[in-house]
Amino acid sequence: MKCKRCRRAEAAVDLPSHHAAFCPDCFFLFFRRQVTEGIRKLRLLAPGDRVLVCVSGGKDSLVLWDVLMDEGYETEGLYIDLGIDGYSDRSKEKVLTYAASRGKTPIVVELAKEGIPIPEAARCVRMQECSVCGTVKRYFFNRVAAEGRFTAVATGHNLDDETARLLGNLLHWQRDHLARQHPLLPGEDGGLVRKVKPLWRVSEVETAAYGFLKGIDYVTEECPMSEDATSLVYKEALSRIEDRMPGTRIVFYKGFLDPSNPLRNGPEAAAPADAAPMPEEDAESGATRGTDVDAEGRDGTPRACASCGAPTFAETCSFCRMKERVRNARSVRAARGTR
Amino acid sequence: MYNAPMITVRLPQKQKELEIPGPRRVMDLLAEAGMRPTTVIVTQGRKLLTKDHRVEDGATIDVISVVSGG
Repeated sequence: MKCKRCRRAEAAVDLPSHHAAFCPDCFFLFFRRQVTEGIRKLRLLAPGDRVLVCVSGGKDSLVLWDVLMDEGYETEGLYIDLGIDGYSDRSKEKVLTYAASRGKTPIVVELAKEGIPIPEAARCVRMQECSVCGTVKRYFFNRVAAEGRFTAVATGHNLDDETARLLGNLLHWQRDHLARQHPLLPGEDGGLVRKVKPLWRVSEVETAAYGFLKGIDYVTEECPMSEDATSLVYKEALSRIEDRMPGTRIVFYKGFLDPSNPLRNGPEAAAPADAAPMPEEDAESGATRGTDVDAEGRDGTPRACASCGAPTFAETCSFCRMKERVRNARSVRAARGTR
Repeated sequence: MYNAPMITVRLPQKQKELEIPGPRRVMDLLAEAGMRPTTVIVTQGRKLLTKDHRVEDGATIDVISVVSGG
């Protein structure tokens, strides 16, 4: 199969959703154009932005950092060491190696040192690991960005992530979540930094292909904590549809983002009183929900957390409340002589 | 007894390896391995393979899942 763009070189990537196949060089152009168009159309970033790129060591976040640097954005990487045995060390190694190859040193937050490593914290508070992880990550994304005077926080959520989340929100009629789901969450007075998802137009296959062809050495193993994540069920369903009807995913998401869509804007956006509560496990998909630091009671502007000063819509931010619960559980376990 | 060379399909994330007689197109190998095209990339050394690429006996390919959870 020949490249559909240059018509000379052998194609390396076939994209049925775009009725296209590209050689490596033409695919680089295509991919970067998808990302820059995604940024331009939704005004995610502007020249002069200082962007904090949240990198996990996986393909999406490293590819995002790579493209943003190549496009001339001023960026720094933030790696959060989740404290997961083995997996965190291997992920960090990938981030540090990639960063060094670009002359960068990422900012590293170690959750073990912060007193809230994910596996132990999840056990202490008896919540899904992904749910705890989402709350903790959102907290540090914003805190590091605010302290470092970054103007935007960028995450590597791609089209597959966003459509899986959209499907989950629709299936449970989470109208309040639907109203807030968007690749751009504007910053707010009170210390909430703008959050953007520049990869919203590209699929996981595309980011993986880009990373592979660019020689970016990313971690391919999955987080051991995410095996039962509900987002994987939605992804599976959507990939079955995409296999049979290529292009469905992007049509689904673009239609959702259409400003005239009443699910995103307007009076219907508020959750009806009789809306079924989302199961705890599904609330966990807030790991990719992209809500602000504290999702509760979003009326009005954020205020300072009574404990740590971070922006929150409650008296104390969800991170501090979780940390307190972990401390209490540790005390109880210590008194009982258990781990 | 002579063993004819086959295509080796490695699934590194599953730590699994399959031997499939060739020649076969990548999409047919994926079907045989029970993998869907929209969830993987397929590589041969430093080369990325399109789904209609014909793989010959004796070749080794890697099928890398791209689905991330959480």
